[in-house]
Amino acid sequence: MDLKLSHLQTMVLFAAVISIAFGFLSRRRPLDRVKYIVWSLFLFLAIGLGIGWVMYPFSR
Amino acid sequence: MTEDTMAGTTPRRDSRRDTMAFAIGVAGWVLPGLGHALLKMWGRAVVIFLSVGALVVVGAGMRGNIFTSQASDAFESLGYLADIGTGSFYFLAKSLEPNGPDVSHATGDYGTRLLATAGVLNLLAALHAYEAARGRKA
Repeated sequence: MDLKLSHLQTMVLFAAVISIAFGFLSRRRPLDRVKYIVWSLFLFLAIGLGIGWVMYPFSR
Repeated sequence: MTEDTMAGTTPRRDSRRDTMAFAIGVAGWVLPGLGHALLKMWGRAVVIFLSVGALVVVGAGMRGNIFTSQASDAFESLGYLADIGTGSFYFLAKSLEPNGPDVSHATGDYGTRLLATAGVLNLLAALHAYEAARGRKA
């Protein structure tokens, strides 16, 4: 098996898996879990992309 | 029940529960999700099994570095501790990488991080199962 994922694809996979796992571990009610997962996923992606753009001017 | 009897049984019961909780924590470490399954927390068990499994399969598929116990520096030791956190899935990852790791490309480096994440996530889940078995709020 030789998977080729881009940086963005890897980050989205990481964010989704960790958000779902944390949502199930830290919340009991289904609605609370969904809210936690969506919010956590959004923050993972927004902060990841934000840091990426902040570092962009120094990348070359 | 007299106070003497209660004083004699309660610590023994606590000790038994602590031993069971420890065994459940170890079971959760050895096979991701098993600790929660033993506690009949089926949703959490399935999610932990699939999450750790997905991270291990993709991380190994990207030919991430799976550290061994023969570490040459502190970072490799930490990497090994993180990787062994996946329990039996450590050997699954090894079997999925017949040609060994390839970190000469960024993809392999991402795979290394996913494998470490899987281990740390499983350790967290095992600790959660241990705490739940001890009766702490979980």
